[in-house]
Amino acid sequence: MPVIDLWAKDGYLSTPDGNSIYFWGFSKSETGPAQLPGPYIIAKQEETITVNLYNKLSEPVSISFPGQPVVTVGGQPVQPQYSDGQLLSFVNHAEPGGMVSYTFTPSYPGTFIYESGTNPHKQVPMGLYGGLVVRPADYNPNVKEYKTAYGAGTNTEFDREYLLITGEIDPDMHQTVEEGKPYHVSKYLPRYWTLNGRCAPDTMLMDHVDYLPHQPYGSIVMGQPGEKILMRYIGAGIDNHPLHPHGTHTRVVAVDGRLLKNGNVDLSYKRFTVLVGAGQTYDQIYQWDGLGYTPQNPIPTTLPNLRNMGIGDAGWTMWSGSPYLGMKGDIPVGVVSYNEFGEYYFMLHSHEELQITNWGEFPGGMMTWVAIYPSLSHDVGVLK
Amino acid sequence: MATVAKILQVATGSLSLPGKIIPFWGFTDVFVGNPQNPGPLIQATVGDQLIVGLMHNYIKFIGEPLSIIFPGQENVMVRKIPWGPFIYEPVQPQYSLGKMISLTNYLDEKQDIIIEYSFTATKPGIYLYESGTNPEKQIQMGLYGIIVVRPVGYNILDHHNHKTAYGAGTNSGYDLEKILVLSEIDSIMHNNVRPNVYYDMLKFKPDYWVINGRSFPDTISEDNTSSQPYGSQISCRVGQRVLLRIINAGFQNHTFYLGGLVGRVVAEDSFPLKTQSLDATYEKTGVTLGSGQRMDIILTPTTPGEYYLYDREYHHLVNNDQFPGGMMTRITVNN
Ligand SMILES: [Cu+2]
Ligand SMILES: [Cu+2]
Repeated sequence: MPVIDLWAKDGYLSTPDGNSIYFWGFSKSETGPAQLPGPYIIAKQEETITVNLYNKLSEPVSISFPGQPVVTVGGQPVQPQYSDGQLLSFVNHAEPGGMVSYTFTPSYPGTFIYESGTNPHKQVPMGLYGGLVVRPADYNPNVKEYKTAYGAGTNTEFDREYLLITGEIDPDMHQTVEEGKPYHVSKYLPRYWTLNGRCAPDTMLMDHVDYLPHQPYGSIVMGQPGEKILMRYIGAGIDNHPLHPHGTHTRVVAVDGRLLKNGNVDLSYKRFTVLVGAGQTYDQIYQWDGLGYTPQNPIPTTLPNLRNMGIGDAGWTMWSGSPYLGMKGDIPVGVVSYNEFGEYYFMLHSHEELQITNWGEFPGGMMTWVAIYPSLSHDVGVLK
Repeated sequence: MATVAKILQVATGSLSLPGKIIPFWGFTDVFVGNPQNPGPLIQATVGDQLIVGLMHNYIKFIGEPLSIIFPGQENVMVRKIPWGPFIYEPVQPQYSLGKMISLTNYLDEKQDIIIEYSFTATKPGIYLYESGTNPEKQIQMGLYGIIVVRPVGYNILDHHNHKTAYGAGTNSGYDLEKILVLSEIDSIMHNNVRPNVYYDMLKFKPDYWVINGRSFPDTISEDNTSSQPYGSQISCRVGQRVLLRIINAGFQNHTFYLGGLVGRVVAEDSFPLKTQSLDATYEKTGVTLGSGQRMDIILTPTTPGEYYLYDREYHHLVNNDQFPGGMMTRITVNN
């Protein structure tokens, strides 16, 4: 039986504008860093899993698993916890210095959130949340028909997959908690908006970069033309966020870990923008085919002058100098092109544009890239 | 097909919130009685003729023009006594000197005794009724309520529509029904609003979040005869189908979370998602509702215990900045 250990502890987040923000998060080990979001939990349908929570914080902490039918502690279903008749936690919690062990058997595959069920108005925005992916019982990553989000025959095959967890940070609130002062949610005013715990442009960095020890997950989405890219959105914050990728629409195949299908009727639908609601999840297939243009089959138009393409001013560009995938062309002198392999970059961002800033400074916030490469290793876009 | 008549009056009263008592404006169906929030529940069956009257309150009158709009109802007709129109005519927005002053015909307490709105309940579902005059102020002050329209036969044992929200074949059969009206309250505004005086709604900043007019823990108290008569605690047995009829009467969006449980959305804005040709119902752990939106959800708990149902926008789970409070209630599941 898989056993996951999570340690609730504190740490410091870093933002691209140089801020360092106190936060609470889950860690994989007693000595490891607290992280935002918490470690991804990958479980399997019908396979019982235990999650041990060790509480290193100064107040009770718990974990709720919305969408999991029966979570037990000590063999009994979890129950709300009271102190002097006052509700303290939605589910059994661990006292400071203590631990609690949750056991459940996922009966549905899908994408779920896990989050604190104690003082959630404070503990969830402070960072005590993470993503849970349940593989279908017949999952087999080596066989195309069985590499699916919801089981063979559900039209949810994918080539690569990415978890994208939204959140917000109000630095004043975090400082209040650090200083042990009263936490007034009425003053809640986010100034940073995160994907997988990072603000752009840090979102575009790889996983596990050394200088972001508490924010191990990047959110750049990479794939090849024609591939089915599974994007799993989770709304972990308390606000809603309208997310969309450019390049093509997505097909929403499931919400809150439930396949959009009744009997034989496929209820999946295409969207440009998905409003990622608080505590809700959205599984989507993104498939970019392009139009097949190559130098041998050229685009029947005159390309604008490089100077009119809005590149150069910042000293860098995501344009390869060529309109053709896998090709590179001229770039103005002194400008760095990030398109090492002639790949295409499409934005993926919150369309509430205040949220693509870091404390009001564009670019930043809830923004990343979808990168389409002419060819890409199979090791990329694998959830571990 | 029956006639359902409800005569309402608007009056000033007081709301009791955790740590505060504030004035509010509400509807009452008791002659010169105390107002309530939400307003009196109006219940009808498809095909019924509804007559909702709004009568001059001589004792506790507010002194502002008053009206009711019925979002989701068609062909609403109106008449007024004693100055007419005497014969029902379609409701119309009202203008004064070229400026719109009301979304619909209104009661002018200086001259009118009663205004009567009438329409046929054509579709089952849950609907809002609310102020159509200075609605930015009057609705927040408490002038809203619910109309439930049930399918023919819902209360007849062997009828194919028995205990369904939308009739046979809509996947909306239930054992228990609970109406949950979501809203938010700005206590400072309530203390400062005066009839016929402009209130700057840009100052709107709610500090209480309510279900059926109450903040947790008052939500889990029983129904009573106070100005907030409707509790929202639910008790059921394992395997029972609980129909949650969630309606957002406030100005903000709210995300109603099913406490870790999963429910099936069977209707949105009172349109059933299952028809003869397509079953488009779907399962969710929580739903986000914009202002005025409604969702009908069937929840079938399988494990005994207590579960909290709450706004997943966690900053709405407080009273005076303290958790627990706000937009939260409880379902108790027994064996
Ligand atoms: Cu965009
Ligand atoms: Cu809310």
